[in-house]
Amino acid sequence: MKKIHLILSLLLAVGLALGAAGCSQEEEKVLNIYSWADNFDPDVIKGFEEKFGVKVNYDVFSSNEEMLAKLQAGATDYDLIQPSDYMVSTMIKLGLLEELNKANIPNLNNIVSTFQTPAFDPEKKYSIVYTWGVTGIAYNKKFIKEEITSWSDLWNPKYKGRVILLNDPREVLGMALIKNGFSNSTKDKGQLEKAAADLKTLVPGVIAFDTDNIKQKMIAEEAWIGTVWSGDAAFIHAENPDVEYVVPKEGGTIWADTLAIPKGAKHKEWAEKFINYLLEPEISVKNYESIGYSNPNEKAYPLHSEEYRANKMIFLDKKDLDRTEWLTDVGDLLPEYDRYWTELKSGR
Amino acid sequence: MLSRTRWLSVPALLWLAFFFLIPLLLVIALSFLERGTYGQVVYAFTLNNYSRIADPLYGEVLLETLAVSLLTTFLTLLIGYPLAYHIARLERGWQHTWLLLVMMPFWINFLVRSYAWVVILRSQGVINTLLLSLGLIDQPLSLLYNSAAVLLGMVYALLPFMVLPVYVSLEQLDRRKLEAAYDLGASPWRAFWHITLPLTKSGVVTGSILVFVSSIGMFVVPDVMGGAKSALIGNVIQNQFLSARDWPFGSALSIVLMLLSVMLIFLYFRAIRVQEREGREER
Repeated sequence: MKKIHLILSLLLAVGLALGAAGCSQEEEKVLNIYSWADNFDPDVIKGFEEKFGVKVNYDVFSSNEEMLAKLQAGATDYDLIQPSDYMVSTMIKLGLLEELNKANIPNLNNIVSTFQTPAFDPEKKYSIVYTWGVTGIAYNKKFIKEEITSWSDLWNPKYKGRVILLNDPREVLGMALIKNGFSNSTKDKGQLEKAAADLKTLVPGVIAFDTDNIKQKMIAEEAWIGTVWSGDAAFIHAENPDVEYVVPKEGGTIWADTLAIPKGAKHKEWAEKFINYLLEPEISVKNYESIGYSNPNEKAYPLHSEEYRANKMIFLDKKDLDRTEWLTDVGDLLPEYDRYWTELKSGR
Repeated sequence: MLSRTRWLSVPALLWLAFFFLIPLLLVIALSFLERGTYGQVVYAFTLNNYSRIADPLYGEVLLETLAVSLLTTFLTLLIGYPLAYHIARLERGWQHTWLLLVMMPFWINFLVRSYAWVVILRSQGVINTLLLSLGLIDQPLSLLYNSAAVLLGMVYALLPFMVLPVYVSLEQLDRRKLEAAYDLGASPWRAFWHITLPLTKSGVVTGSILVFVSSIGMFVVPDVMGGAKSALIGNVIQNQFLSARDWPFGSALSIVLMLLSVMLIFLYFRAIRVQEREGREER
């Protein structure tokens, strides 16, 4: 065992030395991206490298919180990050984001007006919407003959034991808040309590809470109905055409992954040039058709394939979008959300 | 002799200091600090994190965790002891083969093995497909996402921790004592109860503590095989560091869990000491 430890510590020392050596080559044309896995078409990145002679490094995180923790712990190597909406507002308040120099991003105006001034970045200084979706209901027509229109359909006793929910306190409590006519990010303890009490009557019929593998559970028909992101619904529908998707009449939570620059980024200008490159209509068509998410680029819309444009899970209707709401940071009430979450999970 | 070899322990001590002691002290310090509005750590002393644990909700979560862990320990003992007994009675060569089989699952990542169980148990899984095609059932059975599935996963994952120590103590058992018992007319059951079981107690205690302590912090199995429907203390702690962004409270929960484990290890050492004393007296 000790030998393994020694080898590990030697490796660590070598790693640190290499890391230090990397820092000294600041003049190099480098762009360090820290993002979700598979969030870009590899050819698009290669195209940027060739066009500008810049070397792009790509590190991945699996949750916003993981990324936040790493940046708070003092990681300063990154030039471009992709926080989600609520994380952008948190990071603005924590002073962890650089203001974007819009002179370097003339293509900014290509973004559809809906996403020009999102609630999480009201002054539109720090972030740009990269991709987005809506949490709605996915359901399997093979087992569900009724028309699904409302969040309360999840409570239908016929689907008991076949309901699946995201394993995320803000998403699930937010859903119950919306169902009861409140904001998904309420700071009113009474409303939160009411939503949690409502959820307690749903939980006994829930087959599982899952975020990472919810797609497989819907495809394999273990779950018949549940809270699913529109992009995931598109993926599920492609694998199992019986699964449909709807934004309930009460509305749903809208989310976005953004492009932003962390405080102290060493290659800020390259990050801005990369953002501008991604917003070129032709580039973005190639990029988004490859990754399969929604493109917020208005200029790119007519260039997209018929198939991509016709997909209602990728291009949601305007009237559906009008009913959606962003999650915003609830600050000091977040531990309260977590407490209700623990209560729901422990069945009390 | 001791002083000349003492320097050999320096790498290990440094390792422990850097990667165990310092992080531990940080966690202790963190547990007395405040959570800022946006989840940052505020450097102000507070006992709030510990008084929040007094909330009956967390007490109940802890109790449920202990209950699941005790049940897991009991089941691994029930299955593991006979298996170890069987292995210890085999010929040398066969013993090695069996021990290898017990340890082999460790060569595959634990998460992968949990998902393998999902593939076996889910409604379109191996078992349900087989039973459906044989016409024994006409609806898939719900084998996953319940507490039985969680127990199955836990017992499966932790069984080797029980089998190996029990096997070692059975292996060291002085057979002559059993022969003496039989010579004096003891039935096999009586010989087991009065000779074998007491003399393998140390293996049972070691195995039980290993299984129990490992199962207390388990959160992968409840998430993957239980559908994340139960809140065990491991899940609650994990949430504090991720979705709740409340590192101080998560640290306080970890400290409480750690104290509980230390208390159990202390009890274990005491049990061993009592056993050794008894052993000496016997000789």
